[in-house]
Amino acid sequence: MTDVAVPKSRTKKQSLLKHIMTMPAGAILLVFAALQIACIAGALAFPDDFRYLSPQNLTILMKAIPVLGCLALGAGILMIAGEFDLSIGSVYTLTAVLMASLVDGGLSAFIAAPLGILLGVMIGLLNGTITLRFGLPSFIVTLGGLLFWRGAVLLYNGAIQVRFDPEPAFSSLFAGTLFGINAAFIWIILFVVSFYLLLHRHKFGNHVFATGGNPAAATAIGINTYRVKLIAFAIAGGMAAVAGIIATARVGSVQPGQGAGLELQAIAACVIGGLSLRGGRGSIIGIFLGVMLIHTITDVLLLLRAPGFYLDMFIATLIVIAAAFNHLIERRGAV
Amino acid sequence: MMFAPHLLELHNISKTFGTLTALRDLSFHIGPSEVVGLLGDNGAGKSTTVNLISGIHKPTSGHLSVDGRETLFTCRSDSADAGIETIYQNTALVDSLSITRNIFMGRERTNAFGFLKQAEMRDIAMEVLEKAVHISGIDSPDKLVGDLSGGQKQAVAIARAVFFKRRVLLLDEPTSALSVRETEALLAQVLKLKAEGVSSVLVTHNLYHAYQVCDRFVIMSHGTKVFDVNKADTSISQLTEYVVLT
Repeated sequence: MTDVAVPKSRTKKQSLLKHIMTMPAGAILLVFAALQIACIAGALAFPDDFRYLSPQNLTILMKAIPVLGCLALGAGILMIAGEFDLSIGSVYTLTAVLMASLVDGGLSAFIAAPLGILLGVMIGLLNGTITLRFGLPSFIVTLGGLLFWRGAVLLYNGAIQVRFDPEPAFSSLFAGTLFGINAAFIWIILFVVSFYLLLHRHKFGNHVFATGGNPAAATAIGINTYRVKLIAFAIAGGMAAVAGIIATARVGSVQPGQGAGLELQAIAACVIGGLSLRGGRGSIIGIFLGVMLIHTITDVLLLLRAPGFYLDMFIATLIVIAAAFNHLIERRGAV
Repeated sequence: MMFAPHLLELHNISKTFGTLTALRDLSFHIGPSEVVGLLGDNGAGKSTTVNLISGIHKPTSGHLSVDGRETLFTCRSDSADAGIETIYQNTALVDSLSITRNIFMGRERTNAFGFLKQAEMRDIAMEVLEKAVHISGIDSPDKLVGDLSGGQKQAVAIARAVFFKRRVLLLDEPTSALSVRETEALLAQVLKLKAEGVSSVLVTHNLYHAYQVCDRFVIMSHGTKVFDVNKADTSISQLTEYVVLT
């Protein structure tokens, strides 16, 4: 028992590599760095055929990452607390539809957007209350949420697109550019930093890890795990709404079906980023790298003009490999 | 000593769960700087007693007193406030967090905004591990608890209790998952803490481990106390007899 460290060295030879691999999100960082180097090398070698570094492509990337990023940050903090939220894709659509239709009715977007976030938080709290009060698996409760709120979108607004036409100040705040950088991308960086501080540097984060890692121990030591999980549910719902706002501000309209499948992509990003499905493990930087990796691969496949189904197959493979890798690390007790 | 109030005393405690009577008219005390062995076979009511002292269960009748003052523990923090720390078989630690974070879990050092004072906590953890608890193999408070052995985990739990100035350690089957060497280290630790004024209750059915360190033995059977004896007045064969035959 005392020499648990010995078997570690069997799979890795280089000590620096070993060190990075055992860091939280170290493995994903290596994969991401390798992919970036390959892409940049490819773009420099074939600037005309592989336009990875072209300003248009970088802008597309910067615009695409924040939406999934917001969803994954919220879903991730909840996963670390030991619960799931499958309803975030539907909540994302619902809150965006609500906001867009309120603005269409003459309300300022600066009021409609916080109302959308409030709705997201309320749905998160509802998911949490049902899950925790009745001791149900959140997987089932939020699967119900996924279908219910998807239906609610159609009930509220029908299967039609809603135009989103906010005041210019709102548009530039979420879809403009600052020093050549997309505003949405600045938002996601701010969120990543805030979530990092919350999860890794704040008391609350410590309680989230404890709640997900060993609920019995957390309760025994006096942590209110019910409250921690409820807050995590609220954050997941709220961030789904934020994702909806960012996406809607960029596109200028909401499609009633646009959120379908995003909840799975968000969870996929988390798993790729090193979060354990059983809770208690993971990092914000891992989640963000997971999101960036998914979008980089999507982007590369698009640039290579690969058919869409390759994308799904690629991401699927990545999820399974990441999950297997994480499981291996967990069993060994590292990370 | 005769007139000094007991650190912790149980007065005529009974506890029923539905139709099951887990504890019946149980009374015993724990004195200052004393190691008490709470012995008994499986089902004697030891675990219920532990849960009661740590505030998880409330007695159906009877009461507790701390320093001679009558009290009632309604939750775990009441017990912690009275200076009692329970160290469970599967110690209440989170494997995926570092030793430092485990020691301060739920009692984090933070600034006014709730952000962790990581350097301060790390330094304290380092000091506690070096000075208060000597268990080999722990060289850094940044190590994840999941990487530690059973004995090392208990050492971390004890370090946590020591740092938060507990006066009574309640060790629930502390040696059941330990190697021989770790057991010796743990028992030595209990004696060291006793010298520093920390009392311990060893809840166990391993009479030999209890006999090594305890000053007094409380033997339970069928939910009540059947024997309460100082080490000087008994022998291991007499203890065995009581545990087995009652």
